[in-house]
Amino acid sequence: MVPASRVLDRNGPIADGWQRLADDAPAPAGASVLVSFARLKNEHNALFATAGAVGVDIGGDVELEELEPLLPRLGLIVVRFATMRDGRPFSVGRLLRERYGFTRDLRAVGDFIPDQVLFLLRCGFNSFEVGPNFSAEALKHSVAAYTVWYQRGVERNATVAEMRLAKEKA
Amino acid sequence: MYIYDDFDQTVAKQRVAEFRDQVDRRLKGELTEEQFRPLRLMNGLYLQLHAYMLRVAVPYGTMSVAQVRKLADIARKYDRGYGHFTTRQNLQYNWIKLEQMPDLLADLASVQMHGNQTSGNCVRNVTADHFAGVIADEVEDPRIVSEVIRQWSTFHPEFSWLPRKFKIAVTGAAKDRAAVQWHDIGLQIVRNEAGEVGYIVFVGGGMGRIPVLATKVRAFLPKQELLSYLEAILRVYNRYGRRDNIHKARIKILVRDLGPEEFTRQVEAEWEQTRHTGINLPPEEETRIARYFTPPAYEAITEPVTAFEDAKKKNRGFAQWVSTNVHPHKAPGYAIVTISLKPIGGIPGDISADQMDAVADLAERYSAAEVRATHIQNLVLPNVKQADLLAVWQRLGEIGFADANAGLITDVIACPGLDYCSLANARSIPIAQRISERFADLDRQHDVGELQIKISGCINACGHHHAGHIGILGVDKAGQEFYQITLGGAGDETAATGQLLGPGFSSDQIVDAIEKVVGAYLDIRQPNEPFIATYRRVGPAPFKEKLYGTR
Ligand code: SF4
Repeated sequence: MVPASRVLDRNGPIADGWQRLADDAPAPAGASVLVSFARLKNEHNALFATAGAVGVDIGGDVELEELEPLLPRLGLIVVRFATMRDGRPFSVGRLLRERYGFTRDLRAVGDFIPDQVLFLLRCGFNSFEVGPNFSAEALKHSVAAYTVWYQRGVERNATVAEMRLAKEKA
Repeated sequence: MYIYDDFDQTVAKQRVAEFRDQVDRRLKGELTEEQFRPLRLMNGLYLQLHAYMLRVAVPYGTMSVAQVRKLADIARKYDRGYGHFTTRQNLQYNWIKLEQMPDLLADLASVQMHGNQTSGNCVRNVTADHFAGVIADEVEDPRIVSEVIRQWSTFHPEFSWLPRKFKIAVTGAAKDRAAVQWHDIGLQIVRNEAGEVGYIVFVGGGMGRIPVLATKVRAFLPKQELLSYLEAILRVYNRYGRRDNIHKARIKILVRDLGPEEFTRQVEAEWEQTRHTGINLPPEEETRIARYFTPPAYEAITEPVTAFEDAKKKNRGFAQWVSTNVHPHKAPGYAIVTISLKPIGGIPGDISADQMDAVADLAERYSAAEVRATHIQNLVLPNVKQADLLAVWQRLGEIGFADANAGLITDVIACPGLDYCSLANARSIPIAQRISERFADLDRQHDVGELQIKISGCINACGHHHAGHIGILGVDKAGQEFYQITLGGAGDETAATGQLLGPGFSSDQIVDAIEKVVGAYLDIRQPNEPFIATYRRVGPAPFKEKLYGTR
């Protein structure tokens, strides 16, 4: 049976130890739990005390200033695409990495398609929760589609302009 | 003009391969149409009423001879032997098959062209003054920064899924031929008091159902800080622009809802955080790009060109054409030629493959091998010697593009309208053709003088009717095509939104109505007063009276 959802990184399927909790479900002691932002805001002290690790599920409309104080203690941030055309997660990812210094697991979930994964990687996402129809093969293709960039990504690649300069100097 | 290096060429090639794979997956059913749609749009491919339409990007309107010839080849090979220049300096093909798209894109890539970001909710192909680099009153050639913007905006990882389309236009001169205040971002290159080059930044202009002129958010942005500033604007827009209602998703609505002050404050606050993070282009790269726009070596022509002056005296048709279609060049003895793609009764912007080849030949022989596309749906030969103008005009006459009507009443802009467009309420092209025929008489056109008519087939305003001295908007009235008239719009540095005059007219009545508007103008104009100046002096009342009587 195909699982309802699975988690991939840029190379393919990975194990996922995170447990998604409904807002009224108790947090099992020691487990890695993923909760809504509302619940995190209300219960973060209790959650950080009982759970082994805590992750939060946010949308593209998140106010990052609100999340900021909790960031050092979060092991996972899941950013939700409302539709595949929802471009906000790209900004949220880049801000979390570049401005707020979040270094742990940053995961996209929702209706995005494999062709968007490369840009998500470049905006700082490293894992992807996807549905049964999401092709891991297409993801691999997408990730390899481009090898040079005009812009710098979160991965701090050399830009085309910088490569040109380097080439000129060499 | 700019020429791709290996890096640019790699990006172009990888794009073709990516889209080939996407088309393949679509045809196999691995991508749904809903998933495929934004991907094809970002390659310029629309599904229209009868077929796919491909919009080829002509970055800032500049084309080489080889590119024009390739566009002609493609028109023959994949289309019905013609193409159509649009109001965004791009070229459209109207009869494309999806299965052929990957090969077509590969053909385009072979001459450093593509359909990237000519549609979709991304930063669109950047537009600029079509007289860039060859007019006298310019601070700097706007194509340099336009190329910088082209590269920066190409496949931007953060800003490829914006709330809505995003258009950037640049002018290097105070005389604005790029309609910068009608764009999501408009840049005017200026020099500050210290003599440094930078930009006036306008944000939030746009047409559509809510026409808005842009807000000036910055009076002077230092040149080297442009890209970080653009990113700050786009980040605020990407995060906070509305996504719940397609009609309220443009940045103009965000600027309006936040208020210009608050919007500007947010942009500046964002910019403070990012301006020193390495987003700006290294100055060496700017210099490298600028080198491609070094002017051609002009001959030193110090004497008046007598052959040219004589030809004007002897040949009235030629003199008329020179008066409208030839613009002063910065180099003495040279001229800028506007090739009218508005032959009487023709389809504005349409050009056959043979005509494209002929234009390429002319550019090769007489214009430093460069052709420009204008947002008025004409072409430009930017570097013609005055001594060659007669030969150019004669050759243009042979291919049907010698109409002496640039800027005149028959130089009509029209969107594709109901003949092609699935969103249309009414046809635009036949109205443009009939207006053109009604005012065919050249002496009458020259007597009426400068007058821009712009026609859109629906409220999306692709025909820029809001910016027309006379705007015509197609509406649906109980299943019938109807046309509303607006007056007083402008797209230049005196940009203004045209005002609705009154009830609309049927297809049968609209050309008569336009003639009445023109008649009212002729009655009340002062000597040498163009239409728009008369309108601004007297307002709509005399025009209303002529059209609707004194009800
Ligand atoms: S203005 Fe309307 S009819 Fe004309 S091209 Fe745009 S969407 Fe189509």
